[in-house]
Formats: sequence, structure tokens, C-alpha cells
Amino acid sequence: MKILVTAKRVPDPETTIKVNADGTGIEEAGIKWVVNPFDEIAIEEALRIKEAQGEAEVVIVSVGSADCQEQLRTGLAMGADRAILVSADNPDPTAVSRILEKIVEQESPDLVIMGKQAIDDDSNEVGQMLAQRLGWPQATFISELELAGGGGSATCVREIDGGLETLSFPLPAVITADLRLNEPRYASLPGIMKARKKPMEEIDASSLGIELGRSVTIVSVQPPPERAAGRVVESVDELIAALQGEAKVL
Amino acid sequence: MSDANINFFKADLRSMEFTLYEHLGAQELFEHEYYEHMSREDCDQVMQQTLRLCNEVLGPINSSGDRQGCTLKDGVVTTPDGYKEAWKQLWELGLPNFSVSLEAGGFQGPMAVLGMLSELQMGANISFTMYSGLTYGAMELIEHFGTDDDKARFIEGMTSGRYGGTMCLSEPHAGSDVGAITTTATHIDGNSYLIKGSKCWISGGDHDLAENIIHLLLARVEGAPEGTQGISLFIVPRDVINEDGSSGENNNVITASLEHKLGINSSATAVLNFGDDGDCVGYLCGSEENVGMKQMFKMMNGARLSVGLQGHSVAATAYLNALAYARDRKQGASVKAFKDPNAPRVSIIEHSDVRRMLLEMKSKIDGMRAIAGKMALHLDWVNVLRDKDPDQAAYHQGQVDLLTPIVKAYCSDQGFRVCETAIQVYGGAGYVKDNPVEQYLRDSKIFSIYEGTNHIQALDLVVRKLRGRKGQDLADFSGDLTDFVEANSQDPAIGAETQLLGEASERLQTAGAAIVGYMMEGKLDQLTLYATPFMQAMSHVAVCHLLLEAALVAEGARTQDFDQSQEEFDFYAGKVMSGKFYANFIMPEVFSLCRAICSADRSAIDIPDNGFCTQW
Ligand SMILES: Cc1cc2nc3c(=O)[nH]c(=O)nc-3n(C[C@H](O)[C@H](O)[C@H](O)COP(=O)(O)OP(=O)(O)OC[C@H]3O[C@@H](n4cnc5c(N)ncnc54)[C@H](O)[C@@H]3O)c2cc1C
Ligand SMILES: Cc1cc2nc3c(=O)[nH]c(=O)nc-3n(C[C@H](O)[C@H](O)[C@H](O)COP(=O)(O)OP(=O)(O)OC[C@H]3O[C@@H](n4cnc5c(N)ncnc54)[C@H](O)[C@@H]3O)c2cc1C
Repeated sequence: MKILVTAKRVPDPETTIKVNADGTGIEEAGIKWVVNPFDEIAIEEALRIKEAQGEAEVVIVSVGSADCQEQLRTGLAMGADRAILVSADNPDPTAVSRILEKIVEQESPDLVIMGKQAIDDDSNEVGQMLAQRLGWPQATFISELELAGGGGSATCVREIDGGLETLSFPLPAVITADLRLNEPRYASLPGIMKARKKPMEEIDASSLGIELGRSVTIVSVQPPPERAAGRVVESVDELIAALQGEAKVL
Repeated sequence: MSDANINFFKADLRSMEFTLYEHLGAQELFEHEYYEHMSREDCDQVMQQTLRLCNEVLGPINSSGDRQGCTLKDGVVTTPDGYKEAWKQLWELGLPNFSVSLEAGGFQGPMAVLGMLSELQMGANISFTMYSGLTYGAMELIEHFGTDDDKARFIEGMTSGRYGGTMCLSEPHAGSDVGAITTTATHIDGNSYLIKGSKCWISGGDHDLAENIIHLLLARVEGAPEGTQGISLFIVPRDVINEDGSSGENNNVITASLEHKLGINSSATAVLNFGDDGDCVGYLCGSEENVGMKQMFKMMNGARLSVGLQGHSVAATAYLNALAYARDRKQGASVKAFKDPNAPRVSIIEHSDVRRMLLEMKSKIDGMRAIAGKMALHLDWVNVLRDKDPDQAAYHQGQVDLLTPIVKAYCSDQGFRVCETAIQVYGGAGYVKDNPVEQYLRDSKIFSIYEGTNHIQALDLVVRKLRGRKGQDLADFSGDLTDFVEANSQDPAIGAETQLLGEASERLQTAGAAIVGYMMEGKLDQLTLYATPFMQAMSHVAVCHLLLEAALVAEGARTQDFDQSQEEFDFYAGKVMSGKFYANFIMPEVFSLCRAICSADRSAIDIPDNGFCTQW
């Protein structure tokens, strides 16, 4: 069985993000970068399938600048078998889904596992677009996954508003991971050292023969409004009045 | 997870990176054969994973572990909740083997990087790291001195977390005076001996994290010479190790009691009885008797560096907690608005005196990290150059030897003081258990006591190390310092501070000459009286040198890179201020210390015992 997983390079959730001077994006200097946490969950799930099946290949792909190598190395250190870096300059979700379609055609995986969204732009659409392009079944926001029929089909539990939904579908398919699917492992020291020797293929997106232009233009980026300072109230009555009148939460 | 499991641990990765790579240039190591199987990127990944382990696993059981402590019941020691799971995760990650040689199945990573990994783990949970740290230390002894058979029997278990390890030196009447130990070893056959005696204060002496514990124990073979000349090193498993490597029945190693301590409460400190109720079999480590002290001495540099790092690491998280508190706590108005009773309350970080305390802590932490990092890097260069350039290797080994007592004593003394200042920044909130700094303070006191009290370090420095390689080590140290002072005395950013360092260094030399004088004249009471002040003065000079060196690097980075973010610019400014502040506020203690040394004042020696107090 072959599983393709994605790893987007995103700012560490712990870093303070500042909007750049012309308001078109964020200030990138001095930021720590990590694997998108939802992608980490996807990688973990692929590794668990591999461990359960005994034999499977986990291929990890990242689309972006050459720096994405760092995130691919993390995935390899966790246990993925090989990596593909598709270099593309600032691709939007549509372009990423086109690129991934090509990679899937080349690799013919049995399963694609992705994070449900990236924590930087929160687009939440690449998985869906990819499944549509491939004409494959999709299951998004999954919190449980079980393979059946020797890896020929899958059952997923997905988190929906107010409850859970269970889906069964044949493979190949695209699934996107939600927070509760698993808890990603650490990259161990032996894993990190082994990762250096694992293959990392570099592909230039422009060589894939697809339209890479942005279909979305970012008009402006603004920081969230500053939180107003708190205030100490004199009594419970005043508190309740404030919660009802000002905060409008009661 | 209960409310008690709060993670207070805070780390400053950016500063660690600065010291390791921008200041000390550790990345050069990866270009040499001994370390070329690794890269900076690998190490960065290991740092990230270690930080995650600290934040998610080790940090959250630090204060709960302190409150719960270890218990001894029916001869079995139980560690606090969560420690077993943490132990398992630590070894799955492979972290304790970061610097273990490739030959012994480790990763042979640089000690300088290991120092930073240790800073994270020790800062997150100092007590927990005692168990893994001592296992590493005990394993190293076997790796260096054991026979092939010893290695085959013990190393795998000690590099996989199956076995814990200890160092059994101290006895009730033999603490600083190791030569006074009375535990005996009676030869049976081959390298087997019957061990009989009692050891006290043994860290990790027993616990439930590993299936077996391997004690590295000092004992006296019957008929051996008196004192340190007659001490041998033994490997004593708590449980007999069967032919197939599994652990069998108890080898008559009994935990008699656990200490109730001021700090490091989740590190079990045990009184152990060997061979009380039957035969306890130990194995001579290596094939020679009576060389136990020599063997211990060889491995001491690493162990003492490690205790220095303990002091530094706990202080570093104490500082960052105090800093976060100071940003948050509002108290008093800005001094500039002293006329206005309605002036808004400000965060205490805006008060000059709080800033003074914060920068004092920061500069000491930057200094501890730099000097411990420097020493570790010297160790790495010894590894790199050992066979290639013996002269250079000898230079680095000399600096390791010279810096060992300084790193151990300076970082343990100053680390404790930084924790104390952290409490001062918190005010009353620092004194109570809702906040982590009171535990940091309690945990930190032990560092100046074990692994040779800090006075034992001072004696090591003045009696042995200053004369290392016939004085060449000291000459090299002073040479590096003089070169720096000459090159930078006119520097626009740190020239004045460099000149001050030059003056301090001259005073130190005068004091050093006085010390040598006392030694030559056989005035040993005075020699030992001034040993500690001399070591303190020398430490300040060494640390100030490194901080000013770092300030120069930072000043360069700050003024040459025009693309950097405000945050980076401020970061470098912080490093420059840290050096200047240390030179002007802390380092000048050198002048009073040296003055005392040169005064030849004997009051402390001549005061009659009754002069201290006639009653007690
Ligand atoms: C929590 C804890 C953990 C420990 N873990 C271990 C361990 O794992 N293994 C182990 O073997 N030991 C361990 N020890 C023991 C530790 O190494 C000793 O406490 C230390 O060596 C000091 O010995 P002592 O306590 O007997 O003090 P003493 O030797 O009695 O010293 C008391 C004071 O007298 C001073 N002094 C002593 N001799 C001289 C001298 N000749 N000249 C001048 N001043 C002197 C000392 O500097 C000190 O200030 C541990 C101790 C503690 C408290
Ligand atoms: C065990 C204990 C017993 C106590 N007993 C009593 C008691 O019996 N009665 C009672 O009334 N109180 C008591 N206190 C409270 C004690 O007096 C206060 O903790 C103390 O006054 C400090 O105030 P704080 O804790 O709010 O610290 P803060 O005032 O918040 O100070 C925090 C830090 O900021 C500094 N700082 C604050 N303001 C300024 C400024 N304007 N300029 C420069 N630096 C500043 C401080 O020096 C300190 O380092 C007790 C506290 C403890 C811990």
C-alpha cells in the first residue's frame, strides 16, 4: 500500500505574528517554521497504518520554497519513507491542488491523507479540490479511520456540527485529518539521523505543465483588533449588567 | 491531567542558538570527521523535539513531583506520578544517547549541543534528569574503563533505559574526604568481588523507572593502601544479571532509607546497604585494582560540567518566569509621574530597579551559558583534534581542565542567586507555592554541594589546575584574555568595559601571584582561605570576557544587517547591554575579592574558636 501525505510549512503557532509594512502579508523575518499541525496528524496516521499493515510506503510532499525541506525532514524523521519537494512561488490553494493532482498521477497512491486545513491561512479547501480533480471519494475532518478489505476500502468518523458522521468508501480516496484523529509522535534521535539518508526528490512546479497563476488575490492583511484592557467591577450586579449590556454574552 | 500539572518551564531558544553558533561557532565542528555524520539542521530538529518533550512531558510533572516526592515502602522506591511514562518517552526519543560514542551505539553528537539539550531538560525538571544523567555518567565509566566483557554485559541496558545507573562514593564519614571510605571488596575469582558496606546520599539509588540499577561504587580491596591510593571502582548491579541478560534476584543491595530534602524532591536520594544480609557480588571495572580515584577523576570534567549546567538551567527558567511576571504585574506609577497621585499603575518591568534585577539575572545566565558552552566546545575540539593535532588538542584539554572547577562552582553559586533574585522580582508572590520560583530556589541549593563542594572546586583550581601543564594552561587562558583586551580596548561599543576587564585581569594576576606566594611559603592555611575568593574573581573575569566577546558579535550583527526585524535588532541590543552591565555592575567584585586576597588578612584563621560564640 502506498500513502501520500502532505506537509505545509507554516509559522510556529507559538510565534508572535506581525503584519508586514505594506499590509500584504506577515513579517517573515525571525519566525520559526513548523509542519502544519494538522499535517503532522496526517503523517502520524499514515505511519500508524504502515505499522499496522507491516508493509506500506509513506511518501510526504510539500509545495513551496526550498525551505520546505526542513518540514519534509521532520516528516522523514517521524518515519515517512521518502519526500517530494515541489518548488512553487507562493501558490494559492487552487494551484496546490493542481500540483498535487499531478503528483498523485505520478505516484498512484492508494490513499492521500492531508490536514483538514493549514493554520496559517485556514483555507480548508485543498483536500476537497484535490478529490474533485481526481474524481476520488473524500472524507474531511476525520477523527477515526479504519481500513478494511485488505486496504481496499475505509470507514471514517468525521466531526460535523453537533455530532459525528460515519462514512464508508472505496480506495483510493482523499481524507483530511481533524485534531482528535491521533496524537503525533516525536521525531526520535534515531529517526532524525536516518532521515538524512532518505530520498528527497525535488520537482519544479513549472515542469508539471499546469496553470500555476493565482486565482485568489490577497487584498490586505490586518491584525486582529487589540484586546481592550480589562476592568475591575465593584459588585456582582455590576458584572452581570456589564455581561448583558456591554459584552452581550448573557 | 490535574490542575497541579502546570508547566512553568520557559526556554529561550534564540539565545541558546546565539551562544552556540553565532558566538562560539560550534557549527565548525560538523566539518570535521569526528562530527561530520551530523549537521546543524539535525541538531536543530533534536532541539525542537526536546523542547516539545520538555513542554509536554517533563515540565508538567515538575511541581507535582516536588510535592509528591519519592516513597520507600517494603524496600521498594516509587517515583512520583508520570515519571515512569516520561522515562519511557525520553528513551524512545534516544536523547540520553546524544553524545554517546557511535561505538557504544550512540549518536556521537557534540557536547556543546548536548549542553543546550541538557539546559532544556534540566530547566523543565531537574530532579527527573538526575536519573538519566547519572545513568549516562555510570555508563561512560564502563565504556572508558570496563573490559569488553563489562561492556557487553552492561552498556546495552544503560543506553536503552532498561537499567538506571548511580555513582556510589559518599559514606556517612566520607563526603568531601572520599579517601576515608570503608566499604570493602573481597576477591572471589576472576573480576568478581564480595562488596560490603554502606553508602549514603546516593542519587537515583533505587527507583521504579528501570528494571535494574547498576551502581558504580568505590570500595577498598582488602589490604589496599590507605587513602585515595587504595580505592577501586566496582560495577554492582542491584539485581543479579542472568546469563541471558535478564535481571534476576536481588544482589543484596538494600535501600535502607530515603532522605527528606530541601529540594530535588522527586530525585530519590538513598542510603544503600551492600551485602548486609548475604553475598553482594560486584565486578572490578576494568582489570586493575586501586585505580578507582584516577578513573573517577578522568570522568569528572563531564560530571562537573553537568552540575554547572544544572545551576544554569534552573536559573534560566527562573529568570524567564520572573520576566513574564514583571511584564504582567502592575504596581506603582512611573517614577517620571511622581507628582501625580492619579498616574496610571505600570507594569513593574518599567521600574528601574526591577530592570536592574532582570538584567542582572539575564547577564549571569548569558554568562553561565557562554562559559559552560565554551567548556563543552573545548571538549569537542579535543575529540576532533586528538589524533590530528596533538598540540592543539592539548591546548583544548588544558582549558577544559582549568574551566571545570570554574564552571561547576560559578554556575552553581550564581544559579542559586539568580533564583533568589527571581523571587525578589515576584515580591510576595514568589515566596508562595502558586508560583514556580520558590521550588527553583530550593532545587538549586544542592548544586554547590554535591560533585565536590564548591570549596573543593576552589582547592582543585588553586592547587592543581593553575599549575596544569607546568602553568601552560593558565598562560593560554591569560593569553586569550590579553589578546582580547588589546584588540578591543578602543571599540566604540564596548571599549570602556574592555579596559575595565583589562584592569580586573591585572588585579587577578597580582592576587594569583599572592596565592602562589602562600603556596611556596607553605602557608597552607592562608592558601585555602583565599582559594574560594580567588576562584570567584577568576570566574568573573572569565565570564566577563565571554560576555564582551558575545557583545561584539551582537553589535556586529546589529549594525551590519539592515534587513533584520525589530525583534532581532532588540535581541542583539540585549546581548550588548548584557555584556556592558555585567562589566559595570557585577564583574567589579573582582576588585574587592583581590583586595582581600592581597591584604593577607588572617582574621578568619586567627579568630579563636570561642570568638565565634562562647556558647555554641
Ligand atoms: C541530594 C544529594 C545527592 C547526592 N548524591 C550523591 C551521589 O549520587 N553519590 C555520591 O557519592 N554522593 C552524593 N551526595 C553526597 C555529596 O557528594 C556530599 O554531600 C558532598 O561530597 C559533601 O560531603 P558531605 O556532605 O559529607 O559534607 P562535608 O564533607 O562534611 O563538608 C561540610 C563542609 O565542610 C567543608 N569541608 C569538608 N572538607 C574540607 C576540607 N578538607 N577543607 C576545607 N573545607 C572542607 C565542605 O566544603 C563543606 O562546606 C549527595 C548529596 C546530596 C545532599
Ligand atoms: C509570607 C508573607 C507574609 C506576609 N505578611 C504580611 C502581613 O502580615 N501583613 C501585610 O500587610 N502584608 C503581608 N505580606 C505582604 C508583603 O508585605 C508584600 O508581599 C510586600 O509588601 C511586597 O508586595 P507585593 O508582594 O505585592 O510585591 P510587589 O509590590 O508587586 O513587588 C514586586 C517587585 O516589584 C518591585 N516594585 C514594586 N513597586 C515598585 C516601584 N514603585 N518601584 C520599583 N520597584 C517596585 C518590588 O521591589 C518587587 O521586587 C506578607 C507576604 C508574605 C509572602
